[in-house]
Amino acid sequence: MATDTTIITGQASTERHGAFGDVVFRSLTLLFALLVLVVLGGVILSLVSGALPALEHFGLRFLVTEAWNPVTEKFGALAPVYGTLVTSAIAMLIGIPVAFGVALFITELCPNWLKRPLSTMIELLAAIPSIIYGIWGLFVLAPFVQEHIEPALIGTLGAIPGIGMLFEGPPLGIGVLTAGFILAIMVLPFISSVMRDVFETVPTVLRESTYALGATTTEVVWRVVLPYTRIGVFGGILLGLGRALGETMAVTFVIGNSHHIHASILQPGTTISAALANEFTEAVGDLYLSSLIALGLILFVITFIVLALAKLLLIRLERQAGKAT
Amino acid sequence: MTTPAARPLLSAAHSSERTSDDGAPPRQPRPPLSAPAVTPLVQRLPAADEAPNTAMPATKVDIRNVNFFYGKFQALHDISLPLYDRRVTAFIGPSGCGKSTLLRILNRIYELYPGQVATGEVYLDGANILRPGLDVNRLRAKIGMVFQKPTPFPMSIYDNVAFGIGLYEKLPKSELDDRVESAVRRAALWDEVKDKLRDSGLSLSGGQQQRLCIARAIAIEPEVLLLDEPASALDPISTQRIEELIAELKTDYCIAIVTHNMQQAARSSDYTAFLYLGELVEFDDTERIFTHPRERRTEDYITGRFG
Amino acid sequence: MELYSRRRLTNWLVIGLSVVATAFGLLWLALVLSTLLINGVGAIGPSLFTQMTPPPGSSGGLLNAIAGSLVMTLIATLIGTPTGILAGTFLAEYARGSRFGEVVRFVNDILLSAPSIIIGLFVYEVMVVRMGHFSAWAGAVALAIITIPVVVRTTEDMLRLVPSALREAAAALGAPQWKVIVMVTYRAAAQGMMTGVLLAIARISGETAPLLFTALNNQFWSGDLNGPMANLPVVIFQFAMSPYADWQRLAWGGALLITASILVLNITARLLAAWSSFKQ
Repeated sequence: MATDTTIITGQASTERHGAFGDVVFRSLTLLFALLVLVVLGGVILSLVSGALPALEHFGLRFLVTEAWNPVTEKFGALAPVYGTLVTSAIAMLIGIPVAFGVALFITELCPNWLKRPLSTMIELLAAIPSIIYGIWGLFVLAPFVQEHIEPALIGTLGAIPGIGMLFEGPPLGIGVLTAGFILAIMVLPFISSVMRDVFETVPTVLRESTYALGATTTEVVWRVVLPYTRIGVFGGILLGLGRALGETMAVTFVIGNSHHIHASILQPGTTISAALANEFTEAVGDLYLSSLIALGLILFVITFIVLALAKLLLIRLERQAGKAT
Repeated sequence: MTTPAARPLLSAAHSSERTSDDGAPPRQPRPPLSAPAVTPLVQRLPAADEAPNTAMPATKVDIRNVNFFYGKFQALHDISLPLYDRRVTAFIGPSGCGKSTLLRILNRIYELYPGQVATGEVYLDGANILRPGLDVNRLRAKIGMVFQKPTPFPMSIYDNVAFGIGLYEKLPKSELDDRVESAVRRAALWDEVKDKLRDSGLSLSGGQQQRLCIARAIAIEPEVLLLDEPASALDPISTQRIEELIAELKTDYCIAIVTHNMQQAARSSDYTAFLYLGELVEFDDTERIFTHPRERRTEDYITGRFG
Repeated sequence: MELYSRRRLTNWLVIGLSVVATAFGLLWLALVLSTLLINGVGAIGPSLFTQMTPPPGSSGGLLNAIAGSLVMTLIATLIGTPTGILAGTFLAEYARGSRFGEVVRFVNDILLSAPSIIIGLFVYEVMVVRMGHFSAWAGAVALAIITIPVVVRTTEDMLRLVPSALREAAAALGAPQWKVIVMVTYRAAAQGMMTGVLLAIARISGETAPLLFTALNNQFWSGDLNGPMANLPVVIFQFAMSPYADWQRLAWGGALLITASILVLNITARLLAAWSSFKQ
């Protein structure tokens, strides 16, 4: 007999066969799960403690001061924050419609044999690291924009009163517009892949019955698929925004690193991550360092809010889907 | 609610039809209906080589007043019945009647899921296995289970069978080889896999995979085998082979089988329990239940009026 | 009929635009990759792999940077993979419905998409400042912190895909839970988990920002993990932003090298995923 009979006669041990291994293994996995929480906690703590000197020194004025002068030690977050928000906005303005077009094409129009390779190629856009986009942007895109795009923009849209001030200034190639454009290419695969996933959750029956009424592809997507998936789509957009806000190297190469705010998007500027990347290793002076870390804290807070919102939306989506099935 | 009259009575005089294979005791005349029989609840530890008692089949597992809850929902109501040693007992009933639930109580596999609770007692050779503090892993070495869908582990055929053995014993290779071979032979699979023991278990056909799972279960030498619709995912030929296998295996094990296929229950089992909506409606000799069921509901189910 | 033809027109317009959008996306992919190839291939040669990073004005290679990147990526993978697998196991096997599990998963996904420069800042504060100097250890830790959420996510997803019947079958033989997980569930999910590790490695191969604040850079060959260590991304950053032509050439070469490795890793991961689902 493989096992002894003591278990049955009433003298069963309370020690289960293998219980020790169970306790050890479970504790081990719990430990590392806690580690994830500890890392986040550590990040928050270290950012706050590093930023405290600057925040105490400048107070809330830090958020609205444009000045950035290491010599006089006057620092303000306005220019980096403005640049972060504007470049991300441009990235969203261009990226969302393009991502939507890609998702529409792949889910509704694309022949089946093409779906897999096409999705893979779009996803490769996400695999290319930021620094590669950066040098490509600096050496290829910026000169192109400088020679062709920007003069065209200045000539056409720049002449229109009102929005003309968005397109003022000499064509430099580098600047807020170029940075925003590269960001658009970088976030496009993320948004598109989430959109594709949620589009595919729409029941075929629903699509087919709409087509059967004589609706065009556009109408099926606009009137049925999008409303059905709007939570997921919004979550995907927020995810893309979270990425755009935090992108560093690509932006650093082409933003021009100028701590000034301009109305024109053709001008150079800076973002939080670009300022950090460019200046951190050479910063001398505790206040300078602390101001930079304060910038990091602001970035973290903004991205945390956006990512948390995205995650909450996607969780709500999963719950709805769970209820429906 | 089960009445004493519904509890197992001893076998009737129809034993002539049953050419039972070696070891099964000849049936005895049934005692009069007015005296409800009481199953032996004796603290017997049958020695492995003891010749089976010819008087009556020994009760291997005694289920008493078992209730089962999925959270707030009560799935089983006060079930009591015995499982006899070296016999096959079938649990039948329409979908959702609780037959699989009942089976899964016997090796406490339901405890993997929080919120599922069983009350009552289940005696294996006289000791209550629902008792808290029991070593559940050792229990499962005595009560083996085969599932509806074949579940070969992602390892070689040899490792699949050796897996269970390795949980309890450290054997030298030659002895392990022998144990594996013997289990695979008893599962009627040896001739088909003897040359490819190192191949993945997943490379076998559905019927072969299920026999592999049976080999895996019997390799650890259990005393009771629980089969949860073992052939329902298989084609008719594989099903037949499984049924033949069960007939061979019952000489050594107490077998409980859940099946939604009534013909299979009639063919393969010695005793049948009919469950409906979580209650034990009737328990009796298989032949008796299928020819002269006592309860109206049993008769309706068997004749196909519902289910 | 005016409504009908308007609808048709809109439809064709939208379809046309979606084709344009897809072509747009593919265009940029092609442009980036081809530029990389054209500019970088000139720098590929034996000297790239045998010589150190040169001072401006002279020729050289990227050997110390390549070696440094390999070392730090290896250490980061060695730290991050078991951590991620164990944490992912906890989420999939022990905490499926629990509130605590939800919180951990939430935090993990935030870390997954958080700006990597913030991670660099964190490790700077915790390690570089404490130790008083930049170091390869700090760089490896920063990369490990980026690896962990990726591995946690893929491990949890892959483990959840393993059917519960398999776990039950192992438990029914009397295996304790940890053996069920380690000997059966892990084996069933092995290929998927491996894919996750490959994707994590691909991700950290290109990360620059976290290394900027931790390992910094080193002009020379250094075997000392306790000091700044050369690495490809930071070297590319420094050389590309410089005005020197041979530095820029080396930067393109390094960029091509990184991108090629990442593409190979990605394709391998996909092939692995396809092969494992084929076997099923």
